[in-house]
Amino acid sequence: MRTQALLLASVAVPLFGAACFLLATLRPRPGWRLTAWVSPACAALSLGAAIALAVVRSGHGPVTALGGLVRADSLSEFMLIVIGAVGLLATAASPAWLNAEIAARRASPRAAAKHSALVQLFLAAMAAAVLTASLGLTWVAIEATTIVTAFLVGQRKTRQAVEAAWKYVMICSTGIALALLGLLVLNAAAAHAGLPAGLDWTRLVAAAPHLNRGVTRIAVALLLIGFGTKAGLAPLHAWLPDAHGQAPAPVSALMSGVLLSVAMYAILRVKVIADLALGTEYTRTLLLILALASLLLAASLLISQRDYKRMLAYSSIEHMGLLALGAAAGSPLAVAAVLLHMLGHGLAKGSLFISAGRVLQLTGTHRIDRVSGLASRAPLLAGCLGLGILALLGFPPFSLFASELGIARAGFASGLGWVTTVALALVLVIAAMLLTHVSRMLLGPAPAATEGGLAAGAAPPQAGTERASTASVIQNGSVATLAPPAIYAAETAKPAAMFPDSGLLPVVVALAACAVLGVYAGPVTTLLHAAAQAVVTP
Amino acid sequence: MNALGVTGGVLQAVIVTGGAPVLTGVMRQVRARLEGRAGQGIRQPWRDLRKLLRKEAITPEGTSELFRLAPLVLLATTFTAAVTVPFVTTASAAGPVADLFAVVALLAMGTATLALAALDTGTAFGGMGASREMTILALVEPTLLVSVFALSVRAGSTNLAAIVAATVHDPVRVISPASLLAAVALGVVTIAETGRIPVDNPATHLELTMVHEAMILEYAGPDLALIELASSMRLVVFLGMLSSLFLPWGIATALTPLALAGGVAAFAAKVTLLGAALAAGEVFMAKIRLFRVPELLAGSFLLALLAVASSYFLTGPNL
Amino acid sequence: MNHTAFVELLNLACGALLVTAVLILWRRQLAAIIRWFTVQGLALTAIAAIIAVDGHDARLGAIAAGVFALRVIALPLLLRRALARAEADGGGRALRETSPLVNVTASLLAAAVLTLLAYAVSRPVVQLTPASPAAHAIPIGLAVALIGFFALVTRRRAMSQLASFLLMDNGITAVGLLTTAGTSLIMELGISLDVLFAAAVLQVLTSRVRDTFGHADLDELRELRD
Repeated sequence: MRTQALLLASVAVPLFGAACFLLATLRPRPGWRLTAWVSPACAALSLGAAIALAVVRSGHGPVTALGGLVRADSLSEFMLIVIGAVGLLATAASPAWLNAEIAARRASPRAAAKHSALVQLFLAAMAAAVLTASLGLTWVAIEATTIVTAFLVGQRKTRQAVEAAWKYVMICSTGIALALLGLLVLNAAAAHAGLPAGLDWTRLVAAAPHLNRGVTRIAVALLLIGFGTKAGLAPLHAWLPDAHGQAPAPVSALMSGVLLSVAMYAILRVKVIADLALGTEYTRTLLLILALASLLLAASLLISQRDYKRMLAYSSIEHMGLLALGAAAGSPLAVAAVLLHMLGHGLAKGSLFISAGRVLQLTGTHRIDRVSGLASRAPLLAGCLGLGILALLGFPPFSLFASELGIARAGFASGLGWVTTVALALVLVIAAMLLTHVSRMLLGPAPAATEGGLAAGAAPPQAGTERASTASVIQNGSVATLAPPAIYAAETAKPAAMFPDSGLLPVVVALAACAVLGVYAGPVTTLLHAAAQAVVTP
Repeated sequence: MNALGVTGGVLQAVIVTGGAPVLTGVMRQVRARLEGRAGQGIRQPWRDLRKLLRKEAITPEGTSELFRLAPLVLLATTFTAAVTVPFVTTASAAGPVADLFAVVALLAMGTATLALAALDTGTAFGGMGASREMTILALVEPTLLVSVFALSVRAGSTNLAAIVAATVHDPVRVISPASLLAAVALGVVTIAETGRIPVDNPATHLELTMVHEAMILEYAGPDLALIELASSMRLVVFLGMLSSLFLPWGIATALTPLALAGGVAAFAAKVTLLGAALAAGEVFMAKIRLFRVPELLAGSFLLALLAVASSYFLTGPNL
Repeated sequence: MNHTAFVELLNLACGALLVTAVLILWRRQLAAIIRWFTVQGLALTAIAAIIAVDGHDARLGAIAAGVFALRVIALPLLLRRALARAEADGGGRALRETSPLVNVTASLLAAAVLTLLAYAVSRPVVQLTPASPAAHAIPIGLAVALIGFFALVTRRRAMSQLASFLLMDNGITAVGLLTTAGTSLIMELGISLDVLFAAAVLQVLTSRVRDTFGHADLDELRELRD
């Protein structure tokens, strides 16, 4: 009873939060500052429930609820913790970010309430995706995340944002439709082997050796391409840089940090069935192709990147490629490393996107070459950005060092020596690029007073509507056409009103957690190994 | 070559030659009545033929024997097709000639000869008509072959007599997707090959919009009479193919006078109905522009291809 | 119903499914596309209903009713509303697809190739249950999905892309119905809701694209590139 309540809490709590915010859209103005904190509270509750569930259930078998619809084994629990952790990070940083947007007249309290409601629905959908016992319902939940985030991506209503939202929904829906076709074909094979309709994962795994090989091959290929679209793997990755680059910072943090990992979770579930039905060679080859293509793409397109949020998005593609490589290796060590990487990448990428959002609010420009000298202007922000990049690149003591090392070791051990070497070389190239770009942003002298963007919290422009102002600010990433106050003056004038440094506190905590995790995994280790076992020998 | 086939052939020769101008008359009358005119009467095409035959035979300067031979070749090939394709009975007068490819080749030969004759005149309109007609022919031949081929898959042979016999013995086949798709494709083919709206307007007086009429601008007298007769017979052959392949009721399977009479009556009725429907449709449609014709023909080719695919892969109830 | 009638009716419905897909690819006027899409929804409902009646399956009957509600009523209504708004914004002219990336003749020939490809690829699935007439029609569903995907990739206007996406989804649903008569009821409900909401979201985004860019020609969206 207790475990079942804990199970359902991860979905029910965000839904409750969404309802609160939907009510708030009706009367946004009074008490917005207080309502904003409902979001992190819900996320904290979900994370607490996930951790409690893992503790309570440790050592026992999987637990089900709602008549077998919902099922939690070690893998789902770990994913719940990832969702909870990155969710807490993003929602804890949201109030400060949203307040800065409201102060800059780029958003109204009603829009902020709508944003928060959609984010809560997003979290609920992702939790549902990892908790359902049936592959079909996982599909339904993942498609639901596309629908919910569509309006979040296009929130700013600029030309780029609308274009990004259209491409995002179209490409993701098409890819996920291919996954649906794969599910239906798998259903045909399952029915032929005597299973009842419903694509229950445990039953599929049990009957996997009896599934028709030809049909399963077609189904697995379609499923990998379909869910790979949602995970940002090549070839249907084109939506990722646009969507993650144009979405508001907390949403980008969630999408890059968690949503891609949830799609990867679906791929892992499919891999279990495929390995039992077809032997490991088939999925391994497919995943290797996807992994190498993604890494190659990320490396080639990062070299001449000019927009720092797109740069972070391409880095996400790289990390998803690494995860696919680890999944291809397939040993328990590899899968444990993959799962740890999901958590570490979520925390690091989330921190980076939130810091990048803050940079955008400060400087008003998307372009890397227009931002310089952050270290002298905003030391805490520069520190977060710098440490975040170091975490992302896999420097010790952050946990990504351990997970990337684990994936490489597993790759060599599984006979994927050449592929792993190529992958590591590409990772090195990407690391060099990222360091170059970010150091250009952090180091160097601050720009002169006449140059510089529209600072958040400075006097709002007199001209036109909110849309016109955002359009003129963001047009082609260039500088505002109105005469802005000097960024120096604005910064020193009213720092507290814009974005209190306490807004970056969640980022600092997340990076610290990432570092601690890299040194001492502690209780997470048992959960990781149990989850890896669930994938390798279910 | 059996008695049933020979009898059928003789009957068809008489009916098609005699009834083709009547069909043209019926179609013109239907169109006239729908457009609110009194019309010329059903027997007007025969009166026109009689008038033309009494005129002086004249050929333009600079044309060769081809010009004089073309009407004869056209009439001969159309007559052969009319005699061999099984309309009234399920057997053909000349067994091997009733093969799909032979019949299509015969009909194409007639058109190609006429186009050559149009080029022979050396006039601008002759050349224009010839080039347009050959473009349409080149696009329509594959569709014709593929759509009848779709029907031949079920029957197991490309001989038209075998296909018609199979359809008569199993009329339920007509409502299968392969058959319906092939019917639509053949309908478009008929319209294109016989030069009706929306591909070509048979009643136009503007030379720049002509396709078939432009080719025969230089013909007069008995030659023109032969060509008009052959064109009408061509229309009867195509409509007869449609009726034999997709409306198999009434076709004679035995050599009794009752069956034969029934076959003749059914053939006449079906062709007249199809012709009247075609004429009625023409009243409501407009001719499409020439560069849109390939689109229409590509679409009908796609439908024919889908018909073949369906006939190969969809099981019938007996398989 | 006896076996012959079942097979003939099923084949007829599948043929109608394929022909409407070809017509949607062929026609360029959006109003005509929506009309043929509605007819295709009817064909899809017919497929589900025929299999339900033959197998005396109540669950499949419920699925057929769901298909009818979604694809004959809800989705065409959504599309028609979007079209009406687009025409109102555009000043009342009938909306056509402005020259697709591949011309109509080539698209139709590509559709022929895709149909043959569908037959080749889906052989293993058909061989699973060779005695079932429904299984033999699976390539038709796959062909419709591929034709929808091709149309999606070669259209320029946002609304045509939306209609092509729904066409692809129709094909995938047909495959689902023909393989094992669908999946569990909850999954069907979830999938239908997802499709409905995705279409609604796309419709709203279409009008936003038009408002922001002044037109709905997606080829002109070049702001985001590397």
